Amino acid sequence: MKKLLSLSLAAALSVSLLAGCGGGGGTAETDNPPANTSFQPAGEAGELSGEITFWHSFTQGARMEAIQAAADQFMADNPGVTINIETMAWGDFNTKWNAGITTGDLPDISTAQNTGEVVEMLNAGVLVPMDSTIDAIGRDLFSENALADMSMDGATYGIPYYSHAQVMWYRTDLLEQAGLEVPTTWDEFYDAAVALTNPDEGLYGCAVSCSPNDLLCTRYLNYYVRSGGGSLLNDDLTANLTSDLAIEGINYWVNMYKNCSPAETINYTVNDHATLYYQGTTAFDFNSGFQISGVESNRPDLLDYISCAPLPKMNEDDPYYSAEATHIPLVTWANSEHPEICQAFIEYLYQTDNYLDFLAAVPVGMLPSIKGIDQNEEYLSNPTVQQFSDEAAIITQAVEEGTAIGFEHGPSAQAGLLTSQGVIEEMFQDIITNGTDVETAAKAAEDELNEIFATMVA
Amino acid sequence: MKKLRRFSPGGCFSYVYLIVLSVLCIFPLIWLLVSAFKSSGEMLANPTKILPMEWTLENFHTVLVTLGFTTNIKNSLIVALCTTVIATFISALAAYGIIRFFPKLGNIMTKILITTYMFPSIMLVIPYAVVMNVLHLTNTRIALVLVYMSFSVPYAVWMLVGFFKTVPIDIEESGRIDGANRFQVFTRIVLPLVRPGIVSTAIYVFINAWNEFLYALLLVSSSEKTTLSVAVKTLEGADILNWGSMMAASAIVVLPSIIFFCIIQNKIAGGLADGAVK
Amino acid sequence: MKIPKRTLRSGGIQGSRATRWIFVGPAMLVVICLLIYPLLSTLMYSFTNKTMIRNDFDVVGLQNYIDILTDGDFYSAFGHTLLWTLFSVLGQLIVGFIGALALNRVQNKVAKNLFRIFAIIPWAFPAIATAMTWKWLLNGIHGFVPTLLRDLGITPELIQFLSDKNLVLPTLIFINIWFGAPLIMVNVYAALQTIPQDQYEAAQIDGASSWQSFRYVTAPHIRTVVGLLVVLRTVWVFNNFDIIYMITGGGPAGASTTMPIFIYDTGWTGRLVGKASAASILLLLFLVILCVLYFTVINRWEKEDK
Repeated sequence: MKKLLSLSLAAALSVSLLAGCGGGGGTAETDNPPANTSFQPAGEAGELSGEITFWHSFTQGARMEAIQAAADQFMADNPGVTINIETMAWGDFNTKWNAGITTGDLPDISTAQNTGEVVEMLNAGVLVPMDSTIDAIGRDLFSENALADMSMDGATYGIPYYSHAQVMWYRTDLLEQAGLEVPTTWDEFYDAAVALTNPDEGLYGCAVSCSPNDLLCTRYLNYYVRSGGGSLLNDDLTANLTSDLAIEGINYWVNMYKNCSPAETINYTVNDHATLYYQGTTAFDFNSGFQISGVESNRPDLLDYISCAPLPKMNEDDPYYSAEATHIPLVTWANSEHPEICQAFIEYLYQTDNYLDFLAAVPVGMLPSIKGIDQNEEYLSNPTVQQFSDEAAIITQAVEEGTAIGFEHGPSAQAGLLTSQGVIEEMFQDIITNGTDVETAAKAAEDELNEIFATMVA
Repeated sequence: MKKLRRFSPGGCFSYVYLIVLSVLCIFPLIWLLVSAFKSSGEMLANPTKILPMEWTLENFHTVLVTLGFTTNIKNSLIVALCTTVIATFISALAAYGIIRFFPKLGNIMTKILITTYMFPSIMLVIPYAVVMNVLHLTNTRIALVLVYMSFSVPYAVWMLVGFFKTVPIDIEESGRIDGANRFQVFTRIVLPLVRPGIVSTAIYVFINAWNEFLYALLLVSSSEKTTLSVAVKTLEGADILNWGSMMAASAIVVLPSIIFFCIIQNKIAGGLADGAVK
Repeated sequence: MKIPKRTLRSGGIQGSRATRWIFVGPAMLVVICLLIYPLLSTLMYSFTNKTMIRNDFDVVGLQNYIDILTDGDFYSAFGHTLLWTLFSVLGQLIVGFIGALALNRVQNKVAKNLFRIFAIIPWAFPAIATAMTWKWLLNGIHGFVPTLLRDLGITPELIQFLSDKNLVLPTLIFINIWFGAPLIMVNVYAALQTIPQDQYEAAQIDGASSWQSFRYVTAPHIRTVVGLLVVLRTVWVFNNFDIIYMITGGGPAGASTTMPIFIYDTGWTGRLVGKASAASILLLLFLVILCVLYFTVINRWEKEDK
């Protein structure tokens, strides 16, 4: 008992003493200039040793295991190295690293949710350039657009790990039963969604989910606005929710919510939302190839009845457009004490075998960010890749022609904040729940976003 | 007279009320448990069917084996037990100290303690996060144990003061005449006398630590070190929302707690009444 | 660090200064380090423009307080907190109190114990399990309760407990009553046991009705316990973050956003530590005032009892 007492006393005392010192100033660690001075490339430097932490948001079993397996093998090859892998939910990720700047709890390597988040991280000054890693893997293997999205002042701060893009998913069996064609315009889409909505049988046309912890409303609104040639950001990077197109888009999705969506989705996040389609509750959905593995694990019986098409257009004869392509990047953090291990491990992840294993965790959902992989025999031998080759082609086209939300004006922290702050989602909730007038709500949300931009962008 | 009372309308109402209450209390538990044994297809196809057509352990397998919840169970246990032992000990010392050495100040001291119980944890968590960073304790279970003192100790002291008040000073005097010093008197004579109080207090502390969510969510990020509550919440944010796994995971959080409660339920009852009133 | 050393040497001396402090010292350290320091730290942040993503900050005076007091969301969150606290505590108290009185009338030992165990189950539910279970029971697409109500013809369509702005707060309050009433019941029941039986008998001899014996025997005996329970519950419910955060996250459209959720959204999601700190201070201030009022009443009761 006495031992315990003295232990707890010591602990309590040290808290107070150190707290006193550290009280006002916050931490200085993250303010250090990035240590991106030249270091030996992996493999040639001899023994690597040290501990690094890797944060990722791949909470799904297969991806998590693929990364863990790669890390285990890397640790076996480099006995001096420890890699701590920490997974967190998509929704928590942004909050976690934001808080980490104050709490000092930051990783050495992490994923980012999209290129927009990389720019947010850059804005906060927490990343180091990854050019030497990119060059080691082969700069020309990556999509130029993707790298450009994560570049600032000539340095690139993220490496695309996998890519995907938003397309329209539908259920062939339901369309057939109702005698409907695959919709190509927003009007057709709306009519089809209404026709397929039948709550008594637990079937809904299209879910519209508005949790402010996620970005779905922004995403949906962005489809609509982009299809009409507009943007949610002005050229001067202020928010634009009050253009005629944006107002029309807001009305479109509010109607969709009222007539085709389960009411409960007003509080749904991406995962809750996607699960509706996985389980056969919604007839249409917008997502990437992740739908395939989702349906496969929830309702394997439906796997033969899902397919995808490009996003609906405003008018039948509008040119092709892609509203949103996402490259999930890996980034290296400035506070890392072992950039050499980070680089070596990232290079290791991109070694063909490891990379193929990772992609195979969610085939077609995660499309390769490295050129040539999609011609690889092993890649092509995957049964899902074979079954969904048409869908993969549609998504690939959308990846190649699209950018992240708001990146049509080039990479900006504003674009990241557009999706990460939930302002547009709150606006939708406000309109739906409180019956607020669309134009009033849009104006208020626009002002709020502009205020956030002003506060947050240094 | 007792027999008469049993058949009185009041007694009848009592039974009806308690039966309704019991059903309301127990139904969510039953629903949680049976849902945990259903396949996900069945959960969605028959929302109102209570018993599963086919009992499956699939959800538990997913949670315990695939998602590795055993680690989180261990973390929760470590954190809750350490918190309980340390907080109960510190609080017992303090409660006794207040009663014996600061009897006049005692009332004010307990009021100060209970005032601190009012501090919203959402307010405290940012400073904690900063301090843990300075101490290099961010993302450790030690940080959680330390931080859990903030809500355990004030409450435990407050409860224990009530219990210690019941210890007659004569017994201690006789102990000291036998040559025992203050600590010996405290550990050998006083503590055994208030053992029921200590046990109830320790239970409160344990349950609160076991259930705690906010600090665990915001101060520990490593999946290796997260507690059970946070792990279940993370499950909700996983790529696929699977109610079956969530129910299985919730069952794993809730069962130890309930079994524990049932075993000690007689002792809990005394808690506040014995402690705070006399 | 000096204190423990000295006390170890002088441990045997009765009530010496050092001995006293080794008893209360650790707890005081906990209070100072883990409660007073963070309070001061929060107070300091509340006058600055500190954000999560920057470690440097400037003093901005009362700007955060002005921002909050002119923010409609703050008042809406504050209003929700009052409703949430008032109805939760009241509901818990009524349900739990009647439960305790009913339990006190049950003579059958087995039944008594069974009821006690059943009633305590919600309280054993960790917040996360409470949240998940109710979320699933009330799910607006596949949930048991909405489906049952529709199938029985009570509601025409699936009722949206958690996504209808008018239902969400009452639903959360119901869940909170479910969760908290057992604590009241068990503690009030225990307090009822401490009432000497002869006082009831005396009252009966005097010809008191059961209401009168409740009013003059039961109530005075247990009011201090009940008062303390109300204080504890009020504080707990007022500051509660977990249940609402895990069930609705404050939505839809802020319809269930209480103060702790507002502070979380401002400080962690919105990164505005300064503003969140100011809101915390205001929350605490209100709670302190409330508790001072409570304690004034309870203290008076305690004095009367003596």
